[in-house]
Amino acid sequence: MHDATQPPAAAEAPRPAQPALSATNLSKRYGDVAAVDDLTFTLEHGTVTGLLGPNGAGKTTTLRLLLGLAAPTSGTAAVFGGPYQALERPSRRVGAVLESDDFDPGRSGRNHLRVLALAAEIDFDRVEEVLALVELSAAADRPVRTYSLGMRQRLGLAGALLGEPELLILDEPGNGLDPAGIHWLRGFLRRFADAGRTVLISSHVLAEMAQTVDSILIVSGGRLVAARRIDELADPSALEALYLELTA
Amino acid sequence: MTAQLRSELLKLRSTRTSLLLIAWLVALALLIVALHVLSFSVADLSLEDSQLRILGLGTTIGALFAALLGALSITGEFRTGTIRPTLLVTPSRTRVIAAKVAASALAGAGIGLIAQALTAGAEAAGLAARGGHNELGGDDYAQLLAGGAAAAALFAAIGVGVGAAVRSQVATVVGLCLWLLFLEPLLLGNVPAVAKFAPEASAGAAAGAIQTQLPDSLVTPAVGVALLAAYAALAGLTGSLLTAHRDVH
Repeated sequence: MHDATQPPAAAEAPRPAQPALSATNLSKRYGDVAAVDDLTFTLEHGTVTGLLGPNGAGKTTTLRLLLGLAAPTSGTAAVFGGPYQALERPSRRVGAVLESDDFDPGRSGRNHLRVLALAAEIDFDRVEEVLALVELSAAADRPVRTYSLGMRQRLGLAGALLGEPELLILDEPGNGLDPAGIHWLRGFLRRFADAGRTVLISSHVLAEMAQTVDSILIVSGGRLVAARRIDELADPSALEALYLELTA
Repeated sequence: MTAQLRSELLKLRSTRTSLLLIAWLVALALLIVALHVLSFSVADLSLEDSQLRILGLGTTIGALFAALLGALSITGEFRTGTIRPTLLVTPSRTRVIAAKVAASALAGAGIGLIAQALTAGAEAAGLAARGGHNELGGDDYAQLLAGGAAAAALFAAIGVGVGAAVRSQVATVVGLCLWLLFLEPLLLGNVPAVAKFAPEASAGAAAGAIQTQLPDSLVTPAVGVALLAAYAALAGLTGSLLTAHRDVH
């Protein structure tokens, strides 16, 4: 937080010095298989970036490396300039959903969020706010086992948003959402990025991507094969052509 | 750390797992005590040794269910995937395991108390019903409750450590049951001189009796608690180190 006594020079800086997210020669090998191979990219603040690639391309492994769940074989993954583990109060900086079903089926949606809120030292009032935001207030006392896939996606998102993070990382967030849910998610991510915050979403649903993101990273066989701004592409079909050509 | 502990305590309270464990414990303790009280003759039942042996069953049951509670607190997270959000909020895995050890130890002490109180109560009721004389005094009961609670708390910590090291819920649960119900009783029966230093025998020493063993063939209560604390520390450190160095998928 900036305080009023800070010298004006600091306030003039147009952007925070560190990229929200960066990978530098990031590699992860499992035995002979390179799941992620020499990946280098950075995310600019205030953008929505799509991480695209076929199944097994290394998208999810890349996200795990960035979030400190797995250790890279070589290279570095940095969140706001350092390793995820070094973040103080990480849920205030980064919100992430890696799987659509990371819940105890017997725990209610509200208690799932309260468990996270307690560990992150976030008020229970905020739990009610995010429940309302993802329209789960009415179902909050039901065990998660009774939730549809779309409801689970929204509960996961609510958990990621608990700490009002600056960076949101979502793996296949559109899975299980109906068209209205996808539309809502797209609008939400747009507003999130327009407020100067940053989003990384992985997906293989190209049409959804083309309408949602500012730029794309295409990975194939663990390697980065393309990084483009979406406005460099002629139209959504150009994305499909590019994707198919590069991931063939 | 307090934040993580509060989070872990809510995890224990917010599913039916803990309640189900306690329900099973109550049913099992009552059944086992009833079977033993009914299988002894009234003369045998009135011997202090027999009465202590029956109480020792409560120690085993308390230790077993506390260990299961601790083990489920970590293996359940791997099974359901909640380990990912847990570690995203608290990237320090050592802190997560430490909070689980503390929360499980608290709950484990409660489980130990319930197991011992139930066993002692059921035994006293059975004795009265069959017209036997209760040879146990206030000291025996005090040691039973205090030692049983301490032993179960430490076994809960052992359960967390083993569960963190093994990760698979089925393998951990089967392993703990095999050790507590089969392997260690076998060792105690055959090589008591060595087996008296093992975890379950140490729990028995703390509480006053275990399985077929009486206090004179066990270590002293203080040594029992110290040994169990050492086992708990070893399991907790092993589980914590392995968790810190392994990838989470």
